[in-house]
Amino acid sequence: MSTSPNRLLATIFGAAYVLIGIAGFFVTSGVGFFDTSGGLLLGIFEVNVVHNVAHLVIGAALLIAGLSGVGAAKTVNSVIGTAYLLLGIVGLFVVGSAFNLLAINGADNVLHFGSAVLLLAVGLGAERGTRTTATA
Amino acid sequence: MNAVLRAWLGFFALGAGLIHLALVIGSPPALGVPLVLIGIAEFAWGVITFTAAAVPFARVARIAAVVPILGWVALLLVSGSAGVPGIRVLPMLVASLLDLAVAIVITVVLRRGDAAPARPLRSGPYLLGLAAGALVVAALTTPALAATEAGDLATPHGTDEEPYQLNLPDDHPGH
Repeated sequence: MSTSPNRLLATIFGAAYVLIGIAGFFVTSGVGFFDTSGGLLLGIFEVNVVHNVAHLVIGAALLIAGLSGVGAAKTVNSVIGTAYLLLGIVGLFVVGSAFNLLAINGADNVLHFGSAVLLLAVGLGAERGTRTTATA
Repeated sequence: MNAVLRAWLGFFALGAGLIHLALVIGSPPALGVPLVLIGIAEFAWGVITFTAAAVPFARVARIAAVVPILGWVALLLVSGSAGVPGIRVLPMLVASLLDLAVAIVITVVLRRGDAAPARPLRSGPYLLGLAAGALVVAALTTPALAATEAGDLATPHGTDEEPYQLNLPDDHPGH
């Protein structure tokens, strides 16, 4: 795995987002599922319950893909990178509004945008031409 | 190392493209149309750069990257103290810095030779290099996007306000 940037990134990000998702539940007691304002993770990143669930799902997908193989990791990195890019853009418009169903704040947008471009760069750029069969 | 630099080019171009696209909202049509074209071109080139084995259209891109900068400077000189209508300074400045970074990195890559390295970079240093670039661009681009007219559409954090109105160039919204 250490020789594959896609597998390495997917595994590290996947594990990180799973941990972030779990940790998020410790700061969202009393916060509703879709509340537009929530708790602050590390005192910076705002989350609500559905945001935590999203982190868990995304983290699990990345982690499983990273452990599976290069092809799966490339695909999931690219898909989630694209999703995070869209979320980063949409997040700019919904911050503070009634549509902010994920309780996104400015710090979240920076993290989402940074994660997006990193996942896209590696998913699209690294290991080009790799087939979907698993490699070591 | 070139793989890291090419990824940074993609990051810079994506950031600049998004900011230019965000600047369309609130700008007069005469500026909005070129901004849309520039933003789309930068965004598309950034994505292509991720997938390419070499910097795509390197020499053309190096020249094209400075065109928005020169255009903005020219508009500033013409507008004087009044400023360029609808084009906020901070986001345009950040976009210009990202475009300048594109031109500089392309120059570096061309001088080094944009051929594939004999030994590919190991995954760890490759990912660390990319992560550093992604973090810097995200930290610059996101606040710049929020500082545009488009970013102004968000109501103050923590308040429940009415759904926002699109701030079209002919409107005179009171924030």
